[in-house]
Amino acid sequence: MKSKRFEVLEQRPVNQDGFVKEWTEVGLIAMDSPNDPKPSIKIENGKIVELDGKRREDFDMLDVFIADYAIKLDNAEKVMKMDSAILARKLVDINVSRKEILDLTLSMTPAKIVEVVSQMNVLEMMMSVTKMRARKIPTNQCHVTNLKDNPIQIAADAAEAAIRGFDEQETTVGIARYAPFNALGILVGAQVGRPGVLTQCAVEEATELKLGMRGLTAYAETVSVYGTEAVFMDGDDTPWSKAFLASCYASRGLKMRFTSGTGSEVQMGYSEGKSMLYLEARCLYVTKGAGVQGTQNGSVSCVGVPAGVPGGIRAILAENLIAMMLDLECASSNDQTFTHSDLRRVARTLMQLVPGTDFICSGYSATPNYDNMFAGSNWDAEDYDDWNIIQRDLKIDGGLIPVTEEEVVKVRNKAARAIQALFRELELPEITDEEVEAATYAHGSKDMPERNVVEDLKATEEMMNRGITGIDVVKALYRAGFEDVAESVFNLLKERIAGDYLHTAAIVDKDFKVISAVNYPNDYAGPQTGYQISDERWAEISNIRNAVSPEDF
Amino acid sequence: MEQEQLLKQIIEEVMKSMNGNKEIDKSHTVSNTDRMDVTNYPLGEKVPERIKTPTGKLLSEITLDKVISGEIGSSDVRISPETLEMQAQVSESVNKDAFANNLRRASELIAVPDDRLLEIYNLLRPYRSTKEELYDIARELEEKYNCTVNANFVREAADVYEARGRLRKDI
Repeated sequence: MKSKRFEVLEQRPVNQDGFVKEWTEVGLIAMDSPNDPKPSIKIENGKIVELDGKRREDFDMLDVFIADYAIKLDNAEKVMKMDSAILARKLVDINVSRKEILDLTLSMTPAKIVEVVSQMNVLEMMMSVTKMRARKIPTNQCHVTNLKDNPIQIAADAAEAAIRGFDEQETTVGIARYAPFNALGILVGAQVGRPGVLTQCAVEEATELKLGMRGLTAYAETVSVYGTEAVFMDGDDTPWSKAFLASCYASRGLKMRFTSGTGSEVQMGYSEGKSMLYLEARCLYVTKGAGVQGTQNGSVSCVGVPAGVPGGIRAILAENLIAMMLDLECASSNDQTFTHSDLRRVARTLMQLVPGTDFICSGYSATPNYDNMFAGSNWDAEDYDDWNIIQRDLKIDGGLIPVTEEEVVKVRNKAARAIQALFRELELPEITDEEVEAATYAHGSKDMPERNVVEDLKATEEMMNRGITGIDVVKALYRAGFEDVAESVFNLLKERIAGDYLHTAAIVDKDFKVISAVNYPNDYAGPQTGYQISDERWAEISNIRNAVSPEDF
Repeated sequence: MEQEQLLKQIIEEVMKSMNGNKEIDKSHTVSNTDRMDVTNYPLGEKVPERIKTPTGKLLSEITLDKVISGEIGSSDVRISPETLEMQAQVSESVNKDAFANNLRRASELIAVPDDRLLEIYNLLRPYRSTKEELYDIARELEEKYNCTVNANFVREAADVYEARGRLRKDI
């Protein structure tokens, strides 16, 4: 006989997910691997000569970089002697300020910081995130992509995402050569929706920098670092080349963050048998040492790996927390799809959504799942109302704003017309009125007419060869009668002159004022402190379109 | 007595800022009598008169009208070494030293043209260059563009790559 109960359970979405038992030798272990080094430090003549049980002569490339650049030596010997459980309690204690914590954590070694967070359960970690997040105000980032790399749809989706509240937007490509069009689409669309939204185009490192230099993007994020030397080499970089790249961005006045996450080393086959969290801690120390303001972490595109092992979702929260303990901006993932279960995907996100992070998702998909070119997201356009209602249920600020159909249609149409006009002015392939109409009302790329891909790709190449810059975009939009959009793109370019938005966790508001961890540092110290939802913001969150009022009865 | 203490405090502050001054004057042109800190941030809002483009224009001169008339081009919407130094000072005032170091490396790299900067980044990737080639890049950075911090950084990379077998091997 077969159990009817088990028959039903087997059909549940969660049982389509993959799970594995811990397997230490290959690094399939979220935290506390027996192979993780024990914390230690020895300093001689102002130089670290022993790090986490390894002597300097045995250092690999990452050890050298971390020892020489990432650890503040002032408090190091003192902190390393402190009991990790006591340090963990300080993290949770509302009477110990963020600044006091940083004086301790910035002097820890990777093994020590991992040992400290390992003392905590997820609720305690969430308490710590509430206090340790860099920027006072939490916010959100989205992905704007589609299967066909259709730039009109990108513009329309970006405009809609902007009025829905995303302060940063990221695109990428199906076909690499489409990158300049995707960058144009998201740039123009986002500025139509809400002036000041920052946009990026995630492509190969050197191309991404080039787009930024040209003024076609406002920031960068796809700068990956890894926790073992072998995987770092496979990623075709070294800590030195990545740190140099970081400085290249800053030299052009462009905001940037690194990316890393648990599971990448296992996935690429070189974990040295260490736990995922320990290896991620090394990534974060490389990020810190390179002098980068922040990180996108939380397993990100490797989420399937930690999600398959026991405690994996806890480890993801722990890695976000370590980033914050290193005073880095944290764009806390909640992006790639990892489960068939709606329950699991919500539970995973509550870890960051409830305490609030600098960017809760680092990307929420502003398109249907099938159009997400980052291999699908944990949150899609179909989930907009769910997210809005969860914010309303819990009275938390997840960064989104409920909007009406009328507003969305209007802003999508304007974005589509703006990109149509821009293409015309820049002598790029025609965007037809039919395409504008389709993008205005589309849900996804299945609703869009086909474009001539060969002709488009020829034009992207020619556009780059012609040396089209952000300034050309401003002029073209202005000539085409979109003066307000031209002004927003211009103001965004102007941000790079003063460089205020290079700083930790910076975003730019609709009046082009910079909000970062420098002028809005997180000052949480218990109930009624830190970020509080204003009456105005609460009204915005509360007013969902499907709520009836007493007068309706 | 109170006045004496106040004077002492003022003198100490002045001495402190003079010491800081020396450090900066070594490689940068920003005068330290008005060293930037968190109270000046955002610089674009609080001290716009101090922000100039690498082409010598004031932030307030960068307007949409001038872009449209062609008076202002792409080379005007860039950050200058002086501004990055000021931002580095702001970061130090909020205890973000590693970030300040990055901004100081960056302020040197403003002088390096886009294409060359991209090439150098690619040459710093693993197995791309011999030790000599990296040392040549360091010399170029130092002599042609006055990037002393970056030159040392590249030489350090070359030495680590050699020790860890990450240099290009010509067969």
